[in-house]
Amino acid sequence: MAAMDETNRRRTWLRWMRDNAEPVAFTKADLRAALDACDDWIDANQASFNSALPQPFRSSATAAQKTLLFCYVAMRRRGAAMLRVEEDD
Amino acid sequence: MATVRIPLSVEEAQPATSGFPQPVRNAGSNFVISGLAFDAGSTETVYFKRRLAGYGSGNLTLNITWYADTASSGVVRWSAAIACITPNTDSQDVETKAFATSTDSDDTHLGTTGQRVHGHDIVISNLDSAAAGDVAWIRLQRIGGNAADTMAGDAILLEAELSYSDT
Repeated sequence: MAAMDETNRRRTWLRWMRDNAEPVAFTKADLRAALDACDDWIDANQASFNSALPQPFRSSATAAQKTLLFCYVAMRRRGAAMLRVEEDD
Repeated sequence: MATVRIPLSVEEAQPATSGFPQPVRNAGSNFVISGLAFDAGSTETVYFKRRLAGYGSGNLTLNITWYADTASSGVVRWSAAIACITPNTDSQDVETKAFATSTDSDDTHLGTTGQRVHGHDIVISNLDSAAAGDVAWIRLQRIGGNAADTMAGDAILLEAELSYSDT
């Protein structure tokens, strides 16, 4: 899964600013630099992430399924409100 | 010589047909704060309409008050323009009337407290031949996509005031 192109990075940057409700002490450029670094880090470390996954998931899950797993874990770690499920009600 | 001051309420502001700020109603600790939230990444526009009663001469000043939704630093690029029509005299079609050249003006977040209220003057010098009694449309924008606009997150417009000299 390749790093995002300029359009997708920009749209992700805009979405982050629109969703964020917490105080920030940085500028739009600072945020964009962080987003670029985050995308680059994922690109550079995806092989390491893949190797950390146990079998048989690693060999049978698709790249999209692995990506979704990563996103779900990260979102739930951020808080239940970020990844709400029926059991939370 | 006196200064005429005309309050402009965010509740009366007319949004553009596309690219308009979101009306917000934020629950403060002790009262509700209504406003228009201008996006950080695009140009968003609202319009006001007023009679230029008693206009004498000189520039128009659009003073706006705003606060940052989340940021505590950075610059917001605001832009204002007017379009004036003299009733009975101007034969201009009101539905095709154009704005005079806009004035861009940057305001820098003053820091210390993120959601502090800022006041900022936009001096409109392209007056579209304004005259006493004209109907004036005032366009206010945040140019969020401009490189000079560095503040992350929304800028929330609280209210505005148009002022000018009566002589």
